[in-house]
Amino acid sequence: MNLTIILAVTLVLAAASFFITRYNKMSGGFTTVLSSLFALVALFMMRGSIGEDFSIFYFNFSITTVGWYFSVVMLIAYSMTSFFNPFWMEKMMYPGSYNFLYLLSMAGTIGMFFAKDFITLFIFWETVVWSSTFIIQLGKSRKASYIYYVVSAIGSMGTLFAIMLAYSVSGTFVISEAFAGLSGGVAIAVFFTFILSGLAKIGIFPFHVWLPEAHGSAPHTFSPVLSGGLVKMGAFIAFLSVTAFPAYDIFADMFKIMGKPFPIYFLMFLGAISIIVGTLMAIKQEDAKRLLAYSSVANGGYILIGILMMDQVGFAGGMMHLINHAVASAAAFLAIAAVAYRTGTTKMSEMGGMIHRMPVTYLVYLIAIISMAGIPPMGGFVSKWLIFQGLAKDGMLFLAAAAFFGSIGSFMYVFRPLSAVFLGQTFTRDLKKKEVGFFMMFPMIILTLLSLLTGVFPNIFLRVIAEIQTSVGIDPITLANRTILTSNGYLDAFRVFIVFGFGFAIAFVLFVVRRKSRKVELMDTFTSAEFIHTRELLHYSSKFYAPFERLYDKAPDTLTAYKKLAVKVGELGGMVESLFYGHKPEKTVFWMMAVGIIVILIGGVV
Amino acid sequence: MNVMNFVYGFIVLVCVFIFQTTLTGLNRKVTARLQKRYGARWYQQFLDIFKALRKDSTSHGWVFDFGVIMALGGIMATVIFIPVAGFQAFPGLDNVFVISYLLAVGMLGMAMSAAGSGNPWASIGVARALTNMLAYDVPLMIVIFTMIFAFDSSSLSEISAMQQGMGILGWNAIRMPLGGIVAIIALLGMLGKKPFDSFIAPAEIASGPMVEYGGKHLGFMFILHEFMTFIEVSIILALFFGGGATIWEYLLKYAILYTFTNIISGVMPRFKIDQAVKYFFKLPLAMAIIQGLVVIFTGLGVTLWF
Repeated sequence: MNLTIILAVTLVLAAASFFITRYNKMSGGFTTVLSSLFALVALFMMRGSIGEDFSIFYFNFSITTVGWYFSVVMLIAYSMTSFFNPFWMEKMMYPGSYNFLYLLSMAGTIGMFFAKDFITLFIFWETVVWSSTFIIQLGKSRKASYIYYVVSAIGSMGTLFAIMLAYSVSGTFVISEAFAGLSGGVAIAVFFTFILSGLAKIGIFPFHVWLPEAHGSAPHTFSPVLSGGLVKMGAFIAFLSVTAFPAYDIFADMFKIMGKPFPIYFLMFLGAISIIVGTLMAIKQEDAKRLLAYSSVANGGYILIGILMMDQVGFAGGMMHLINHAVASAAAFLAIAAVAYRTGTTKMSEMGGMIHRMPVTYLVYLIAIISMAGIPPMGGFVSKWLIFQGLAKDGMLFLAAAAFFGSIGSFMYVFRPLSAVFLGQTFTRDLKKKEVGFFMMFPMIILTLLSLLTGVFPNIFLRVIAEIQTSVGIDPITLANRTILTSNGYLDAFRVFIVFGFGFAIAFVLFVVRRKSRKVELMDTFTSAEFIHTRELLHYSSKFYAPFERLYDKAPDTLTAYKKLAVKVGELGGMVESLFYGHKPEKTVFWMMAVGIIVILIGGVV
Repeated sequence: MNVMNFVYGFIVLVCVFIFQTTLTGLNRKVTARLQKRYGARWYQQFLDIFKALRKDSTSHGWVFDFGVIMALGGIMATVIFIPVAGFQAFPGLDNVFVISYLLAVGMLGMAMSAAGSGNPWASIGVARALTNMLAYDVPLMIVIFTMIFAFDSSSLSEISAMQQGMGILGWNAIRMPLGGIVAIIALLGMLGKKPFDSFIAPAEIASGPMVEYGGKHLGFMFILHEFMTFIEVSIILALFFGGGATIWEYLLKYAILYTFTNIISGVMPRFKIDQAVKYFFKLPLAMAIIQGLVVIFTGLGVTLWF
């Protein structure tokens, strides 16, 4: 299957879905399902044609393993989430535009990952940014899409600047050659501005402000795509900035920290800060979607650290964390969306005991968080294990400390929606609620199985990553049958899974042979002789970690800091304005002359 | 991997259960003597467990049961991975990250089951337990990370084998003294001994996570607690005190280390949970980082003694 056909079909279906939705909302939603599934299958089959180059109009594409890997991850998120679309059409304000933009942004990501030159990459990148901006606006708040757009624009402008600056030196836009011949200060400027859009997209501190806003208030059917898919575009830029822009070669003579040139170490350090900030903020969120958004910030930090390590083990871990987090976070967001479909809210304090109404959704969420927290036997464990082993090999203590903090902190925050939304007493309002239908359950089950597959047979995925490693010229990760080998340890995930199953089986048998227990209501608990009859009051869900949150509740919030900065800039502007445009013309003339004289004087000196 | 591995695994489970439960019983005696009491008989712990297993129980829905099974299953799988004096039921699976994260399956199962009971006290206990885990694990993991860097291995049995043959001077607790102190403090936190026992806090939050358990569920939780104690003490023993060349040496060292934590616990008051976090993130964290920097930049502690 040719990429031209995939792009053409997706774009035609995108336009078609807009008009179909006019006549029948439900079938408009199904168009997105069909289109994204088609794109996933077609792209998956393109594995054979890796290495081909071709052009459509002015756009140049080249099929690479890494592009294939990224776009498959992306389309898993898109296609699985699209199953929810038909059921949300009634609740959407502009369903036609939503479907159109959904498919347009999907086509944009495909084009971007296979771009051969930076102009193609940039155009498709902007397509995604613009279409997702308008989708976010269809959700709860407009402010969210402003913030998303501003942060994305800062990143995009940075990248565009870097591309132009590199072009002025090398004279080409082709990704593999554009950065040749850079050195010194220009190289540092290009590196930091180029990766800016990657940092903004992946949600690295201090650009993480858009994630909670956008993920939290985007339509429930788009948040899984944002977190599972679009955030990973940033990882692609990070990947390019250490491969196409050979940062390790260009910065080879520079001052090194723990064997890494300092520009790279600085970015890894930002990744570590993101892990800590994401974890701490996630712990104190009261809205399930915002909580998961902050967890994406933390996981983005892991991915960035992994990819920037550019070595045998850590890089493989970062690349594998990409798919693990995409799958797990899409599943978690879908589970929350399914709950919101029935209850109409994502606030954790307004829900409880949904496990008794929606057991499948609960299991989906459970497996997703096991993977997200990095607990075996799910995929997240394997990738975090690889990152830890990689960090331990290089002795990067501070990054590892942040990684451990994030990893254990994630137990805390992923448990909150589990206990607040699913466990405890069911609210009276929700007692008659039902599980979602099979069509919505299906993608969640697929994602759950995928989490398990990445955890039990990680080598299937690591083989692709090994190919990517070979293609960018680093040692591929050593794999033997079912075992992953590193220089300081090895892991046989399949055997871990079997032994876990063995332990579970013993416990199960032991449980079953003992006398059957009597089932009691959840209101029938020990309450020290207090009589509590209100279900809602007995469920402990808000301010779950209050003693811990109190330790850092005075810490400044990034968004508030930006707002303060904006006010200060505004005041400065006001002052300048009052100097020049006052009521007295002589004042204006005076300042114009003063500025003119200063310019001339400085010009004379220079 | 064949049938014998599973048979060995099962034998390990039974032996560990008998050994650790006996030791817990003996330690109840030790604690009692510290408090000038006579104390229960050494086999009282067995009686408690079997009595609980025989009694009727109540269940708060399927997640309450499922969580218990998942917790015990995960913890038993972790016990099977622990190398005892060089012996492993499944050789080569004793990676320290695997063990410490598989342990988390058990904890997640326990937390899930406890929160599934619908009792707010259980939820408060879970919240404190998870916070406590964040507090002790970060300094401890930094020290373990340093060790993996220093010895280029993340296998528990390899690291403990490297410390043997040089007597007490070979122990990592002596080679890396700051790390050793952090490990002992973290062990107190892991075991939920005073001063870090606020998540159980019997007099304050009605036993925390355990509040709704009775009958076989409670019996399962007792068994789980014995296994968890074994895992936690074994990790510290293998990493910092050289494990044991023979099984008797291992068990003796184990008994001394475990009794030591109990004696400390017997004379300590209790931290509030936020105090525990503050405590761990000050001195132990600083010591762990200093130890890490010393080992990474000077190599002191890796080669000092030979």
